[in-house]
Amino acid sequence: MKQFSYTITDPVGIHARPAGILVKAVKPFESTCKITKGDKTVDLRKLMALMGMGIKCGDTVQVTIEGPDEDTAAETIEKFFKDNL
Amino acid sequence: MDYRKCAQEIYDLVGKRENLVSAAHCATRLRLVTNDNSKVNVKKLENVDGVKGVFSSNGQLQIILGTGTVNKVYEEFLSISGMTAATKADVKAAAAAKQPLPFRMVKALGDVFVPILPAIVAAGLIMGLLEGMTKIWPDMANSGTYQIFHLFSNAAFVFLPILVAVSAARVFGGNIFLGAVIGMIMVHTDLVNAWSVAGMIENGQAIPQADVWFGLYKINMTGYQGHVIPVIIAVWFMCFIEKKLHKIIPEMIDLFVTPLVTVLLTGYLTLTIFGPIFSKLEEWVLVGVQWLITIPWGIGAALAALVYPLTVICGIHHMYNTVEIGMISNTGLNTWMPIASSANFAQGAACFAVALKTKDKKFKSMALPSSFSAFLGITEPAIFGVNLRLMRPLICGMIGGAVGAAVGSVFGIGATAYGVTGLFGFLITTRFALQYAIMLAVSFAVAFILSWILHKDKTDEDDGSAEASEDTSEDSPALPEITCEKGKVYAPIKGNVIPSAKIPDETFAAGVLGEGIGIEPSQGIVYAPFDGEISSTTDTKHAIGVSSPDGMELLIHVGVNTVAMNGDGFELFCAEGDKVKAGQKLMTFDIEKIKSAGYSTTTAVLVTNSDDYSELDIKEGVCEPLDCVVTCKE
Repeated sequence: MKQFSYTITDPVGIHARPAGILVKAVKPFESTCKITKGDKTVDLRKLMALMGMGIKCGDTVQVTIEGPDEDTAAETIEKFFKDNL
Repeated sequence: MDYRKCAQEIYDLVGKRENLVSAAHCATRLRLVTNDNSKVNVKKLENVDGVKGVFSSNGQLQIILGTGTVNKVYEEFLSISGMTAATKADVKAAAAAKQPLPFRMVKALGDVFVPILPAIVAAGLIMGLLEGMTKIWPDMANSGTYQIFHLFSNAAFVFLPILVAVSAARVFGGNIFLGAVIGMIMVHTDLVNAWSVAGMIENGQAIPQADVWFGLYKINMTGYQGHVIPVIIAVWFMCFIEKKLHKIIPEMIDLFVTPLVTVLLTGYLTLTIFGPIFSKLEEWVLVGVQWLITIPWGIGAALAALVYPLTVICGIHHMYNTVEIGMISNTGLNTWMPIASSANFAQGAACFAVALKTKDKKFKSMALPSSFSAFLGITEPAIFGVNLRLMRPLICGMIGGAVGAAVGSVFGIGATAYGVTGLFGFLITTRFALQYAIMLAVSFAVAFILSWILHKDKTDEDDGSAEASEDTSEDSPALPEITCEKGKVYAPIKGNVIPSAKIPDETFAAGVLGEGIGIEPSQGIVYAPFDGEISSTTDTKHAIGVSSPDGMELLIHVGVNTVAMNGDGFELFCAEGDKVKAGQKLMTFDIEKIKSAGYSTTTAVLVTNSDDYSELDIKEGVCEPLDCVVTCKE
């Protein structure tokens, strides 16, 4: 299991568009990817659920990745967060 | 007090879940709609601890619990019954469906008429003014400008069946263009204009006829100009057939078979059965009123004026010209005109009283010009738009008209011509100016006073001011209920549908968030696109996610980049986790505000899990709320 924390810097937070690209970025991996904010955790593949989190600029989230390709997945996804969010 | 126990007892006594349609509460009452009110044990219900009274009104069962108590009992009631919270509007809609047939028919009539009122108010006022002016300056009738204006004034009435048909098709859920075709058939130029018929008979001309049903009988080839009821019946029938056919005809040939059969069947039945039955009724009414007015001492006139507005509702009042022409050629004095005039004026007065009394601004702005039009002799706007919908003003107007007509008849008022009533009637009753004025004053006074006393604004008579404002949101009428099919998305917004690839935003256009459509909205209301659950909303209120029971995930994102508006101009009517029914209002947004903030209003309606489907069929072009716009194929 791989895990990292990240504080969102994108001014609109994880809204429709960023959420859309994020889900697309996660899709190719086999591992289960989850995002947690506070006491709420959702599957990163589920766009609606992700948007429902209402993650805003300045919020800190934990991303958990578990599965056969967790190493590459964690690396790619963390990079994605840094580049885009 | 034990709220749970109270709720449980109510639940048992109203016939449990299987007898419940919906539940809501207001400040003091629990409002339930039941399948069968007779299964409710009212006696025992009244004795439940906490219940202060029980009665049923407008198809709703209302249980008085009192402020502070009702909401707690309601919550328990929901948890016991497993029902979801209904808005008061839902309860009302469910109750409306349970009203007796005549009420529903009057309501349908109103629903059909209200959207076309602006058209006929305009036409009515122009027509009244023009007719009056030509009586003052007869030469004017020869001027070209007059002829052009005259054309404007009667266009809406000559083609009224088309307007009515389109509106009726919308109300009854058929294709509005097929509806228009039915309307057009009824006023086709190859048919003799209904308004010319009286003149043709007078001149001894034959009305062309046609064999129908393999020579079984003949019908007169006359049009239905100015008619309302036969058109609504025809279109209701058309929608019925159309919907049936859509169900049974295979999709491959549906597009050409359904409209073809619908138009053929409806058109033929209309011209050969509905129409002729109606024409026969008209003739009887005509014979009837001619007999009526022979009753002396003003009684006959009063009775004739009493029924006059009803004949306007049926659209047969223009036939009275025949009576008037007959009177003028026999005695030189048209004694029918004062009756009609009194009846019309009284309807105007009743409508005027409502207009002055109502606090509903929107209703006032409609009722006022409608009453003016009636004073000039064109009563359709007042009758259909106001009086008939509220019923009481109609009756008040009928009584006022009857009293006025009796007065007129006692005075022996007669007109020297025909064609105008109301204020302009003075021009053709010059010998009786004073008497005519008294008659109008009497009918006005009676109708106005009665209507003023009896009219009550439709508020929740029981629980005061708090909720009165809710009913005024007439700009978002309840949408008809629809049955949702799997994989279909029904337009959440009124507007113009474009493929998502044409949305002016690359992320949406590229399909990053899924495939679907964009809607260029013409109205700022978002309705639920299918029965489902709200899966996400945002603090900025501009986007809603909805998921259907069969797994479709839909994102409705109003405008492009509108996240930056931070919720300004948006209002949400749902929350995450809410169960919603197709057509339920989810959000309102201010189109102007979005535009002035510099953003596109194009709303993305995207199936976010479109990867799960093999194909998405979309229907481009203008859409009404709940038109099917996307079909997903697995």
